Amino acid sequence: MTAYVIRRLWQMIPTIAGVILLIFFLFNWVGGDPAQVLAGKISNPEQIANIRKQLGVDQPYWYQLWVFVQQVFTFDFGRSWSTNEEVSRILLTRVGPTLTIMIPVLIIETSLAVLFAIMVAYVRGSLTDRGIMITCTVAMSVSFLVYIIVFQWLFGFILGWFPVQGWSESFWKNLTTYAPLPIMLAVFVGLAPQLRLYRSFFLDEINQDYVRTARAKGLSEKKVMLKHVLRNALIPILTNIGISLPGIFVGSFLLEVFFSIPGLGREIITAVNRSDFPVIKAVTVYLAVITMIINLLVDVMYKYVDPRVSFK
Amino acid sequence: MVLPTFQPLRIPRFFAVLVALLLILAAATADAQKKVLRIAFRTAETGFDPQRVFDRYSVGICENIFEPLLTYDYLARPARLVALTAEAIPEPDEGGTRYTFRIKPGIYFADDPVFKGRKRELVAKDFEYMVKRFRDPKNRSPYEWLFENKLIGLDELTEKAKKSGTFDYDAHVPGIEVRGKYVITFKLKEADYNFLYVMAMPNVVPMPREVVEAYAADTHAHPVGTGPFILKEWVRRSKIVLERNPYHRGYELETRYADPTDPWDRKVMDELRGKRLPALDRVEISPIEDEQPRYLAFLNKEHDILDETPFSFIHQVLPNGKLSKALEKEHMNVFPELQPEITYDVFNIDDKVLGGQENPVGGYSPERVALRRAMVLAHDRDQEIAIIRKNQALPAQTPVPPGVVGYDPALHSTEQDPDPARAKALLDMFGYVDRDGDGWREAPDGRPLVIQYKYNIGGQEARQLAELWAKSMKAVGIRLEATAVQFADLLNDKRVGNFEVAGSAWIADYPDAQNFLQLLYGPNTNQSNESRFRLAEYDRLYEKSLGFPDGEERNKLYREMNRLLLAYAPWRLGVHRIFNHLQYPWVKGYKKHPILYTNFKYLDIDVPAQQLASK
Repeated sequence: MTAYVIRRLWQMIPTIAGVILLIFFLFNWVGGDPAQVLAGKISNPEQIANIRKQLGVDQPYWYQLWVFVQQVFTFDFGRSWSTNEEVSRILLTRVGPTLTIMIPVLIIETSLAVLFAIMVAYVRGSLTDRGIMITCTVAMSVSFLVYIIVFQWLFGFILGWFPVQGWSESFWKNLTTYAPLPIMLAVFVGLAPQLRLYRSFFLDEINQDYVRTARAKGLSEKKVMLKHVLRNALIPILTNIGISLPGIFVGSFLLEVFFSIPGLGREIITAVNRSDFPVIKAVTVYLAVITMIINLLVDVMYKYVDPRVSFK
Repeated sequence: MVLPTFQPLRIPRFFAVLVALLLILAAATADAQKKVLRIAFRTAETGFDPQRVFDRYSVGICENIFEPLLTYDYLARPARLVALTAEAIPEPDEGGTRYTFRIKPGIYFADDPVFKGRKRELVAKDFEYMVKRFRDPKNRSPYEWLFENKLIGLDELTEKAKKSGTFDYDAHVPGIEVRGKYVITFKLKEADYNFLYVMAMPNVVPMPREVVEAYAADTHAHPVGTGPFILKEWVRRSKIVLERNPYHRGYELETRYADPTDPWDRKVMDELRGKRLPALDRVEISPIEDEQPRYLAFLNKEHDILDETPFSFIHQVLPNGKLSKALEKEHMNVFPELQPEITYDVFNIDDKVLGGQENPVGGYSPERVALRRAMVLAHDRDQEIAIIRKNQALPAQTPVPPGVVGYDPALHSTEQDPDPARAKALLDMFGYVDRDGDGWREAPDGRPLVIQYKYNIGGQEARQLAELWAKSMKAVGIRLEATAVQFADLLNDKRVGNFEVAGSAWIADYPDAQNFLQLLYGPNTNQSNESRFRLAEYDRLYEKSLGFPDGEERNKLYREMNRLLLAYAPWRLGVHRIFNHLQYPWVKGYKKHPILYTNFKYLDIDVPAQQLASK
């Protein structure tokens, strides 16, 4: 296993190099000139050139790329071009609010989706199954934005169960007061596609020979479903969670914008609007590294979920 | 008999507990009685170093922490200058080229560890340092233009700094003369009767040199000024808390220029009579970018004021132009404000766009001028006002908005009014006709006529305006292609002339027509003159106008310049937008100022009413 992990870590280097090149060329070819945004209402070409010089965007491309590589390996992305705040500080202060929302969302959504999926799979073909599947399809066809607008209006304003927006310095106040509505919303929206997907995983397993054998052996339905079917369906479920896991670190920018949550998603949008390349670079690289590490961890976990898996 | 030993201790302990409880209760009551204003900003701030910020919300915070030499009277309309940290408004000397300010003694900066417990007085040297900061290339001040080509010897100092890499703040600048602790004279290269307005801008304010140097790594986070509030808490792009500056000298509302017939003025005077300002203890500001949460948070009484009611909710707030019954029931107040700003579309007047490509709308030849004028006439501005602006705008008749010195309400021309029939006739007359029968007009030389319109990719309103342009042009047979580009690219394209037609807007930096008319001054090409309009006659009139103070002579020149604008059509004049500001009845002293960004220092809160409503 150690050899496998070392090999996977080694493979991360070309991936990071690819990410660096991609971000660099995208920013320089597609992204706007930050000096234009920072120059204010009235500025002359000389002032714009001065800003470009200070930001270092007047340097040759190879030099800018070299600086970027150095930043990646020293974890020092300097300061934000628009606010002069240290990029590392931006990341550290923004990841907390994002995780406060996204970790409960992941846990609740996955638990509910697995629970409902196994129940629906068990009664496959029945009226309940069809009704739930139709509801899921309808729910999936509505835009996330519509849900946000309706939920915020209904639960925040009309019913007054939650504040419409806001965030505080206290973790507990955030978790108990400001986070429940966005969490509920994200779970509600994410549940339908997850449920459909996990149901198909369970159905795949239910139709396997070993399930028929287990039943023939006289095992109870509860044991068949929870011990045999669930365990075997966990591999694709784990893969799916693994894929969605890096997303929790950037959050949902729509949720963060609508509920005034000072998270990373909102920060990225602000950075893109202000052509704040140091922030964009840092977030993208950090996300790429997290994705690779989580993928590796998920692959390692397969071994424990399914003993048939071996590292080669 | 043995007496219990704890008995004598009981009484003091009981009293101690009682006193502690009373103290806690008193503190809680004092906290509950604190006058706290809660408000949302439409966009996130960037920081509070006044010489380094330009977005209106950051500058709006600076306005409360710092104080310029001059400011505007709160109630006077049109806006009127008054002295703030200066003893009086100076008279322009030597034909508008010399201004001497005397600073009021005994004004102190808010406390800061840098001062090591000593009170730090505001002195003339602080203003000298401030002006120099604008011109230090390292600060890349977005408002550097205020002091560019302005004060004798300052440009040379900046040039020296560019070469050496260090700005010499101790160097003598002939255009800035400090005499004693409290007198400073600015000597200008040329006459400028608007210089006093510059000295009233909310970011032309001093921060002590020792503070700037101590917090050089992050001056945005350490604003120290003489203003009525201090920055108590700042969670970047999430929460800004201002608290009353205990060092502030305080003042009373000036009512000299109030209009007793104006109901808002009367209300403000009644509500603030005899009160020491600032009355607020604390201001809590949350940046909320999206319109719905900002609007709902206000209706939920999470905020006390809704600055600039979002246009998308205007029909709920003001159905048929009147406050809705539901809001009326809440005794809500609405302040409609015609902002000193203008939206407009710019035609690139250069014959070729950047890169050498032929520009179909550029040039001064009769047929090109006719094409631009026809496009202006064909544009359905009425629809823009009714649908996109939701009737919250007035059609612009001149580049100068109402409420600005030099605005002429009598000026009205039909040249910018929608008239598709006239547009078609004009196009036919100058040879822009459909030769191949495909439904689109060709240029007079027979080449296809396709006009490119650029707009900001990020804005819904910009997209709607682009669609209206295409639709309006189609109605007269002109093919217009709208392209969405990144905001930064659009700024750059407009600055370097890489466009044919594009949308734009301008809000007054100071309330004088010159601030708007400079947008068409030839030498400002590649800066603020986005249309690249270079007409010798216009430039001559503009330069001549700079030598006159406000008065009929100058207004005559402004009228002449406006006539040239209408004749050559480098712009399509858009609208002056109306913004509606809502306040709950417990907010006292409210009146929106056309130039000042905020009015926190004039507001008061009826705390019991606010608390009752929150329950």
